[in-house]
Amino acid sequence: MKILIIEDERRLGEFLQKALSECRYTATWVRTRKEAADALAETPYDVIVLDLSLPDGDGLELLRQWRGSGFNEPVLILSARDSLEDRVKGLDLGADDYLPKPFSLEELLARVRSLVRRQSTAKHTLLEHAGIRLDLLGHTVQVNGKPVDLTSREYALLEIFMQNHGRILPRTLITDKIWASSYDVDTNLLDVYMSRLRAKLEGISGRPLFKTVRGVGYQLV
Amino acid sequence: MKSIGTRVAVWYGSAATLTLACLFVAGYLLLESQLIHGLDLLNEAGFRQIEAYLGADYRTLSTPAIEKRIREITDYASTLFYVDVHVPGVGPIFRSTNLVGRDIPDVPGERNFTVEVSGIGELRVAELHKMPFEVSIATPLRPVRDVMAKYVKVCLILLGAMMIASVMIGLGLTRLVLWPVRVMRDTANRIRSDNLSERIPVPEVRDEIADLARLLNQMFDRLESSFVQIRRFTADASHELKIPLSLIRLHAEKMLVDGGLAPAHREAVQVQLEEIARLNRIIDELLFLSRADAKALKLDLKAQDPGALLQAFAQDAAVLAEDRGCRFTYEHRGEGSVALEAKWMRQVLLNLLTNAIHASPAGGRISVRSVLSDGLWRVAVEDEGRGVTPAERERIFERFVRLPSPSHEYQGSGLGLAICKSIVELHGGRISATAGANGRGLRIEIEIPALSTVEAPEEAAVPKPLIHSSGELLH
Repeated sequence: MKILIIEDERRLGEFLQKALSECRYTATWVRTRKEAADALAETPYDVIVLDLSLPDGDGLELLRQWRGSGFNEPVLILSARDSLEDRVKGLDLGADDYLPKPFSLEELLARVRSLVRRQSTAKHTLLEHAGIRLDLLGHTVQVNGKPVDLTSREYALLEIFMQNHGRILPRTLITDKIWASSYDVDTNLLDVYMSRLRAKLEGISGRPLFKTVRGVGYQLV
Repeated sequence: MKSIGTRVAVWYGSAATLTLACLFVAGYLLLESQLIHGLDLLNEAGFRQIEAYLGADYRTLSTPAIEKRIREITDYASTLFYVDVHVPGVGPIFRSTNLVGRDIPDVPGERNFTVEVSGIGELRVAELHKMPFEVSIATPLRPVRDVMAKYVKVCLILLGAMMIASVMIGLGLTRLVLWPVRVMRDTANRIRSDNLSERIPVPEVRDEIADLARLLNQMFDRLESSFVQIRRFTADASHELKIPLSLIRLHAEKMLVDGGLAPAHREAVQVQLEEIARLNRIIDELLFLSRADAKALKLDLKAQDPGALLQAFAQDAAVLAEDRGCRFTYEHRGEGSVALEAKWMRQVLLNLLTNAIHASPAGGRISVRSVLSDGLWRVAVEDEGRGVTPAERERIFERFVRLPSPSHEYQGSGLGLAICKSIVELHGGRISATAGANGRGLRIEIEIPALSTVEAPEEAAVPKPLIHSSGELLH
């Protein structure tokens, strides 16, 4: 799996390249628009991680050019600009996902995986893990064969975990998916929903299913 | 008077009319004195004529003879002259017929004077001596007065015409002079944060107005550059702050995920991560406020019924309230559409709810009431906490002003309500704080103008089902 990282900040670029390599991705790191264009001309990539502020021009402009010339690799935008405008503009210009800085590596990995998956495999309609059975068509959940009644929010939450089981899911990734807002609200809304979901599922399964990674997020083990 | 043009025109008209009036008054005085001087000359001429008629031998003549001689001439000119001849200390010798037995009064020490004689009117008198006689010869002033009255009439008409004409000319002139000012006003009116690069056209002539236009343009230049600076600062600040923040977070998280840390170190790293999240939130909030202040923030307002937004919010709010042992009630009445950006309104409601939860005692009730009627969407979030004093209430929407929390464990950034205020104002609405329903607690109310409201008939205005904190529906 080949990933192209376009990031002008040296320390961040190095870190990402190293971290992605550790996760067995082949990561290439370039720092300018020109280097990016050269790298892309040389070899195709599976995912491109694009920083918006580049020394020789705007990342959004680069994206517009790519999409204009029929280039359709999935692009994940990284931006220090917090603004919603950039997010909307980026997605309008054909970016596939958007991640504001500061971001969590787990979240970047989760998003990269999801971009790769979107390309390769068809969606499952039945998810099963650790005795939990989630039917995406019927919107039903069973634990060890017993049906569990979940609210719509709890169901949406469980679905995200089932699709990424075994992985640490950062809080912002979850809130972004459920409330369409990555703005970290000063509430413990997610924790409250997690404890309700835990109570319902672990009560039946009789063993801990979720692990809290403090300061980062949650993990379905 | 509202317009400078009108004011200047009136001033100009008054000044011109006043100047003309002064000229007329001077003319009046001059003309009058000339005419009276004419009468004096006439009186003198009359006297010379009488003198001629009396002849050189008048001293030898008897009184009746003198009277006869004078009467011959005075009767001939009786419409013109009044004549009174007398000897000082002795008495009258002659009075012209038109005096009808009256005296011409004497003003001692004056040779030419004006007197009023009853039944005859004003007379201009010349008192002359023909030893041993004193001759008073008088001419009626009436024709002079008539001329002067006509003069006054003509002057008044002319002054009126002058007033009207000068005001009209003044209006025209000020219009012409103020036209560049009007252009400036219209341009300045158009210049807002979204078209700060527009400039006032500077007239080619170098005059005060051109100077003013230049000065205003310089001011707009400075304004534009500081505005651009604010925008750039926002972008730079986020860039400069967030890269180190990203690196700290990435490294801290890596330590945590890689494992192998002693429990104490693990705890320290977790605290770091939480504080990074907090720092990031504060940066985001400050940047949001600075952009809102600079009017550099554009909301994506879409017409929608706030009911759906509130319903989704109430679902989360009930869960949050229950977790903190509070009761939550929610009510929404009315239908219509409001221009909103759901993401930001949700943020406002969530901020208000968080404050209410932290202010509430255990078992306290938090209510959200929303009414959409009379072209206005009103949402009130109310708690049963300690409330805030009226003096504090004034300040709670300011930055870094924290609400008292009974638990003392909760320390918000102090920016939540300031952000709520900004967001509500960006929606064209306002936010206010009052005491709760029975004098307890705090009630924050938001008012946002609706695009349209459907006025429900009275009997249909039944509250929508209340969602109780347990999430069950109460009917």
